[in-house]
Amino acid sequence: MSCPKTEYLIQEYFADDLTPLAREKMESHLHSCEHCTRELETLLVAQSNLNQWQDQRVPHWDRGLELFRREHRVPNTGNSFWNKLQWLPTAASLAMLAILLLNVNIVASDEGFSISFGGGNSDAAYLDSRLITLEQDQQAAMDALVQRVEDRQDTNNIELLQAVMDQTQQTTAENLDRIYAFFEQQRLQDLEDMRVGYQELVDSDYATIRSLQQIAQFVSYQGDVR
Amino acid sequence: MSLIDEDEALIAAALNGSAYAWEKLVKRYEGKIYNHGLRLMGDSSDAMDLMQEVFLGVYRNLHRFRGDAKFSSWIFRIAHNKAVDLKRRKRLLSSQTRVSEQEETDIFASIPGESNLEPEKTVGKQQQNRAIIAMLGNLPIEQRLIVELKVFQAQTFEEIADMQDISVNTAKTRFYTALKKLKVVSEETHVLS
Repeated sequence: MSCPKTEYLIQEYFADDLTPLAREKMESHLHSCEHCTRELETLLVAQSNLNQWQDQRVPHWDRGLELFRREHRVPNTGNSFWNKLQWLPTAASLAMLAILLLNVNIVASDEGFSISFGGGNSDAAYLDSRLITLEQDQQAAMDALVQRVEDRQDTNNIELLQAVMDQTQQTTAENLDRIYAFFEQQRLQDLEDMRVGYQELVDSDYATIRSLQQIAQFVSYQGDVR
Repeated sequence: MSLIDEDEALIAAALNGSAYAWEKLVKRYEGKIYNHGLRLMGDSSDAMDLMQEVFLGVYRNLHRFRGDAKFSSWIFRIAHNKAVDLKRRKRLLSSQTRVSEQEETDIFASIPGESNLEPEKTVGKQQQNRAIIAMLGNLPIEQRLIVELKVFQAQTFEEIADMQDISVNTAKTRFYTALKKLKVVSEETHVLS
C-alpha cells in the first residue's frame, strides 16, 4: 500500500529548514503511515551505509609549492617568525667551521681583546714545545707526589708496628704478673689445704690412739676380773 | 582563532607570497578534497588529478576570494566544477561511463601511504570504501554530487542548489531519487550487511 505523501515527506525530512510545527506534523504522519515509515527507514539505512566511509590518506604530492615559489619568485622560506630565524643554525655552523679552518686565535688581556687568523709552523712548534714542557712538568709533579705518598706510607707503617709491639709487650708483662699472682694464690691455698688435712689426720690419729687406749684398758680390766 | 579566521589569515599570507601559509592551507583541505575525489571519480589516480586541478584552481583564483562565503564552501564549489569537467573529459575519451570491474578491484591497490598501516585495518577500510564507491557508481554524476555534498559535506539543499545552479526542490528530488537508487543497490548486493 503506497502513500501519496511519501516523496514529499521524505524530501522534507532531509531538509534543513524544517520548522518545529512541520516536524511535528511529519512525525505524526510517520506514526500513522506504515509505508512512509518503512520507506524512510530503508533510506536512512542507505545513508548510514554511506557514512561508513573512512577517509583515505592523501598520497604524497608537492602541494603546488613549486608553482607557488616560481610564480612568487620566493626562495624556500616564508614570512613567519620561525622561518626568519631558520638561517641562524646554518650561520652558526659556518662561523664554527671558519674558526676551525682559519685557526682563529682570540686572546683576552688587560689591554683588551685581540684576534689573529691563521697559524704558521713556528706557532705549531711553539705549541708542541709548550705541550711537551707541560707534559714533563705534569710527570715530575706526579712522581713527587707518588714519592711523598710512599714516604708517608712507610712512616705510618713503622709507627703502627711500634705501637703494636709496645702494646704486645705491655700486655705480656701484665699477663705474667697475673699468672704469677695466680700461682702464688694457688700455692697458699694448697698450703692451707695441706695444713687443714694434716690437722684432720692428726686429730683422727689422736682419736684412734684414745680408742686403742680405751680398748687396752678394757682388756686389762677384764683380765684382772678373771 | 576560529578555523574560518585561520583560513582567512592563511589566504592573506599566501597572497602576500608566503609559501608556508599556502602549504598549510593546502594541508588543511587536501584530505577532504582527495576523499571527495575518490568517491566522485572512483579511482585514486583520478582523485589525485581532481585534487591537483582543484588546488590549481584555488591558487589561480585565490585573489578573487572575498571572504563573503566560507572558504570550505568556495573550495568545494571549485571541486564540484572540476569534477564535472573531469567526468565530461573522461566520457569523451572513453565510452565507459561506469567504473569497470577491473578498475573497482584495483582502486586502492596502489594507494601510497596506506601500506605502512595495520594491514587488517587497511584491508577492511579499503573493502568498505570500495563497496561505497561501487554503490555510488550506480548514480549519474549529478545525483552523485548531491549525495556527496549532502551526506559527506553536510551542506544544505540551498547551498547545493546554489552550487549546481538548480532549484532547491530539484536538489531535494535528486537527493531522494539518489537515495532510493542506493537503497535498491544496497538491497541487491548486500555489500555492507
